[in-house]
Amino acid sequence: MARDATSLSEPRDGQNGNIQNIYDRMEIIGEARRALLARKRFNVKTQIFIANAIVFALALGVAAVLIASIYRIQRRIEFLEFANELTIEIQQARRYEKNFFLYRTNLDDALENIHAAQEVFITNAESFASLLGYSQQQTVLRQLEGYTDRLEELQEIQRKSPSKLFDAVFMGNIESQLREKGKDIITMAQGLMGKEKVELTRTLQRSIAIHMLSLVVLLVVLIINAYLLGTRIATVLTRFSSYAQRIAAGDFTPITPRRHYRDEFTELALAINEMIKELANREAALIQTHKMRAIGTLTAGVAHELNNPMNNIMLTAHMLMEENAALSEEERMSMLKDVADETTRAKHIIGNLLDFARESAATIQTLELEKLLRDTIRLAENQVRMSGIKIELQVTQSLPAIHGDGQKLQQVFLNLILNAVDASTKGSKIQVIALPYEKAPDHVAIKVVDYGHGIPRHVISSIFDPFFTTKAKGHGTGLGLSVSQGIIAKHGGKILVNSEEGSGSIFTVVLPVTTFPKTIHTF
Amino acid sequence: MSASLEILLLDDEPIVGKRLKPALAKIGCEVEVFQDPIAAVARIKQKSFDIVVTDIRMDEMDGMQVLEIVREQSPRTKVIMITGYAMIALAREAMEKGAFDFIAKPFKPDDLRKVIAKAAEALGSKVDFSAANDNN
Repeated sequence: MARDATSLSEPRDGQNGNIQNIYDRMEIIGEARRALLARKRFNVKTQIFIANAIVFALALGVAAVLIASIYRIQRRIEFLEFANELTIEIQQARRYEKNFFLYRTNLDDALENIHAAQEVFITNAESFASLLGYSQQQTVLRQLEGYTDRLEELQEIQRKSPSKLFDAVFMGNIESQLREKGKDIITMAQGLMGKEKVELTRTLQRSIAIHMLSLVVLLVVLIINAYLLGTRIATVLTRFSSYAQRIAAGDFTPITPRRHYRDEFTELALAINEMIKELANREAALIQTHKMRAIGTLTAGVAHELNNPMNNIMLTAHMLMEENAALSEEERMSMLKDVADETTRAKHIIGNLLDFARESAATIQTLELEKLLRDTIRLAENQVRMSGIKIELQVTQSLPAIHGDGQKLQQVFLNLILNAVDASTKGSKIQVIALPYEKAPDHVAIKVVDYGHGIPRHVISSIFDPFFTTKAKGHGTGLGLSVSQGIIAKHGGKILVNSEEGSGSIFTVVLPVTTFPKTIHTF
Repeated sequence: MSASLEILLLDDEPIVGKRLKPALAKIGCEVEVFQDPIAAVARIKQKSFDIVVTDIRMDEMDGMQVLEIVREQSPRTKVIMITGYAMIALAREAMEKGAFDFIAKPFKPDDLRKVIAKAAEALGSKVDFSAANDNN
């Protein structure tokens, strides 16, 4: 689904000179649009929503765990209170028990307390069943009951046969038994408390750990969210800024899918593609406008140049009419031949211009540089001659062929030559030199050298700007170099300038030789 | 005054000289034809012509320079400029520099003959214009 950008911009017709006109361009943009829209939608908004939902769910989970933990702590505290109460009652009972053995007080109070302890234990035992465990519960109950039974037994003896209370052996025996049992239940109750304190501390610590851990997890989740969202937006923004740069440089390839889903940025991409279409159309119009202007300039030269063969024809015709009878057959034939030759010459003078002016669809062809430059120079010849300037062409032998739109390239070279003519003074020369480009392999350089007034240093950076011109009002549109640069950029090349005020300028057009211009279809 | 008017004709288009030489001979002019301005200038320095007819746009030297040299060498010589690049500015420049007249290409042989007759008159000579169309 996501297609590589190059797959769309590759020439779709590998045969000789594949024609890519305005309809093709619209087709390509339509294709890009379909590809962009064919993907599943995954909005940035959706991602933000999902991220927030995840964070919320996580917070909810943490809260539940914490609430459970607090509940557990509360239970532990309650149990501790219960164990405490139990201990107090048992201790109280034992105090009365001690009094009994010392002063023979009655055991009612002791029994009351121990019954209270029993009641406390029984009422709470059920609710703390999970904390206490069944066997322990039974043990405690048995111990309490054992102690209570002994006390009750003693009370029985006190009530029925108080004399027995003074039987030292019997009493000593029962006292030690009771003490034993009493100590056991105290130990048991205190043991319960102690164990519970440890448990409570552990639960509190666990709760703290859960707090900390959930904070860390939350932080990690938030960081991951921020990273994913940030990367998603930043990546797209970076890509769009690179699109803007390449569009500004004149590369009008439409934006094609790069991801497996579409979102809000897809709408932006579609809008930019529409803009590219408009820009491409406008540029085509601009190139055409500039070409018409160049044709206008050339026409003046052609019109003047035509006067020479016309004059020859006129003189010859008139002399034929005047001298017809006096001329020999041979002389007449020679004069008629002159007329025919001069007519052919006139045809050639117009023909070049007509070829250049003819509006043709952008055609990518293998071009022989020498022929292209020779044709261009012939086109500009009248202008050059009119200005009293000489033009020289030097082409390195067996220069590799280039691919491109011959007419557009001719427009560029013509523009450079006419600029050079404007910059030159009468009697100077212009050199057009084609050679391999020394700084990059598989590139050729075409230099247009003039020895004219040069370009002032402070304007050299703006000479490729649209509407920038140093010519007088009405003499230049300021579009030539801007349009030329656009054309050369589409051929995968560049125009370099090297100028010194007062001694001339060198414009160098660098063009790739073997590779197909990547984005040529956007003409 | 000798019967023939001495004329130097300079144009880098060979056909111009080829056709105009007999055309002017017919009205009693003695014409020397040149295609190379350098050679023509050398000849001008040797001999004072009555009339010099020169093209303006030529490769080695243009007609304006020829005009200046003629004016310098022989002030009495009438210079007639012919050019395919007929522009007001050029014509004005030629006249200011002392050209006798200015003819735009394309022209008929008679157009030049008329100008030459005018120049001859200015020189105090006479041209037998009627001879031109004798054969018709």
